[in-house]
Amino acid sequence: MRTIVEAVDLKKTYVLGKVPVNALRGVNLKVESGDFLAVLGPSGSGKSTLLNLIGALDKPTEGKMLIESVDVSTLNDSQLADLRRRIGFVFQFFNLIPRFTARENVELSMAIAGLSKADRRKRAEDLLGTVGLKERVNHKPAELSGGEQQRVAIARALANNPKFLLMDEPTGNIDSKAASEIISLIKRLNEEKGVTVIMVTHDQRLASQSKKIVQMFDGSIVQEVVN
Amino acid sequence: MKAQDVLSYSFGAIKLRKLRAGLTTLGVVIGIAAIVALLSITQGLQATITRQLQTGFATDTLIVSTGPGFGGGFGAGAEGRGTANSGFKLLVNYTDKINDMANVEMSMAIIQRACWVGNGTTNLTTTIAGVDFAKYARIYSSTFVNESGEIPLNPENQMIVVGKRISDPWKNETFFCNVNDNVEIIWTNATTLPSKNETYTGNVAAVLKEIGGFGVGGPSDSSVYIPISQAQTFFGTDECNTIIVKLTSDDKATIDSVSKAIKDAFSDQVSVTSATAVLNILSSVFSIIQLFLAGIAAISLLVAGIGIMNIMIVSLMERTREIGILKALGMKSRTVLLIFLCESVIIGLMGAAVGIASGWVLANVVAVVFRGGGGTFMGNQAASTGGMTITPLLTPTVTILALVFGVGVSAIFALYPAWRASKLKPVEALRYE
Repeated sequence: MRTIVEAVDLKKTYVLGKVPVNALRGVNLKVESGDFLAVLGPSGSGKSTLLNLIGALDKPTEGKMLIESVDVSTLNDSQLADLRRRIGFVFQFFNLIPRFTARENVELSMAIAGLSKADRRKRAEDLLGTVGLKERVNHKPAELSGGEQQRVAIARALANNPKFLLMDEPTGNIDSKAASEIISLIKRLNEEKGVTVIMVTHDQRLASQSKKIVQMFDGSIVQEVVN
Repeated sequence: MKAQDVLSYSFGAIKLRKLRAGLTTLGVVIGIAAIVALLSITQGLQATITRQLQTGFATDTLIVSTGPGFGGGFGAGAEGRGTANSGFKLLVNYTDKINDMANVEMSMAIIQRACWVGNGTTNLTTTIAGVDFAKYARIYSSTFVNESGEIPLNPENQMIVVGKRISDPWKNETFFCNVNDNVEIIWTNATTLPSKNETYTGNVAAVLKEIGGFGVGGPSDSSVYIPISQAQTFFGTDECNTIIVKLTSDDKATIDSVSKAIKDAFSDQVSVTSATAVLNILSSVFSIIQLFLAGIAAISLLVAGIGIMNIMIVSLMERTREIGILKALGMKSRTVLLIFLCESVIIGLMGAAVGIASGWVLANVVAVVFRGGGGTFMGNQAASTGGMTITPLLTPTVTILALVFGVGVSAIFALYPAWRASKLKPVEALRYE
């Protein structure tokens, strides 16, 4: 198995006002290709900070964040942007662009990567088909339910053949029926298409579907369980 | 991201906030329209005035007069100032003295008075000029030309030559006088007390072709010309208003040397004006006026620029989260900067295009209003003015400059908001509510 993400003694300290907050206090983690990892923990345990570091949205204060053996800290602004194109972000609040249709939202990440219009259109429609939104391609986010919006977001995350999907509470903002649909979609993508998934959640039920659970508390990993 | 995708992204963002973008554009439109309108009117005015002066002027002539003279304040005849108080009089026979000078072909005196001319039913206010018909016709060979009748070279005292606007003052073929008609010439003699009206009857020997210029020094459409000897008798004076000097050449050296010689000969009590000098003064005056007006208009463009900056900063705040999403999807800071700049440039470009068009329309409307006003003025005053029409002039330089200015101002004022947008940290931008 190939190691995709590796955190080595990862530390992150924020300064809130004048008080330094140790969000991460030395995290070691390895994610391998094909993994389905759930990071579980109460709020304030450092889940989101870890997620931002894995997603190259932020840089660690100490330690190393290696993505495919490349140390994120050594990359400049432009290289970070290039790296992010190959990471499939899925957010709790979907973060779709409201003025774009479902298809245009999926196309956007490909446009940023510089794909031609014809290529992106075809691929966007295929991806929306994969997540079960074939009939909704021309709907704007406001015309879609929470579950549907999240599926558009997953299609968008998959658009540039990402190294892994990085999900922040993907079911945190949708009803339970839609949530279980999302869960089975993620599982299907992982099992059938071999997509590596790293997911942050505090939903025990969702975490139980993953292959591996990492329990965080107070900025450290306290437990690793293989399901 | 491809350039066309950046462009369509920016365009989409503008379309989303149509009213706001429209109002921002309006600011640019007003600024550019003001610049274009003011510049095309002044340039048109300058072209008109220059053309009219050139028809009324002969470039190889000098005009000698007492006092500061035409445009004297600007240097040409500044030394002549104050001579009115010194008791110096320019006399008709001073031409003899000037004729003896080098590079002078000939010279002639003009006596001018404000008068009325009457044909029995109507009186017109006009200018009477006493001139030597033969010399005048030689100096102004292109303008002092008969349309009908014959300009008498050895005129009898009662013979007169009238301008086109004296013959046909209302431009409607309702003639005031024609060749061979008798015209009453009335002059209020204010040198006696009480003042009294002097009159004599002139006979129209010729009507001049329409000139259309101002006729500074030269013939004009709205003057009545009488023989110089008759003017001396009628006005009871040997003092003339101006002496026109025809030079052997119109190069600068000749103009300067003769000007100096004349001034020296009359111990600096006259001013000497050359057509060339007047045209130069005029063009420099117009440059200053243009710069001044463009400066005022530029202020409104500056205001528009600040409006753009304001709106871009508001837009930046509103779209912080969107920028966070774009960055999380892998958009480079440079592209974010480009998107914001592009939005502003689109606004600037639209504003400039609409501004140039509406400025041009505005200039033409002003020109038409001005022409209309001039027309009624003409009607009342009969033949007193040359009747000036302005044709606004929109040069390619002004068009390009306005375009560059509009786009440039938009881009410059968007730089700061765009830079701030590009520098947003993805984590913080995504967290922004």
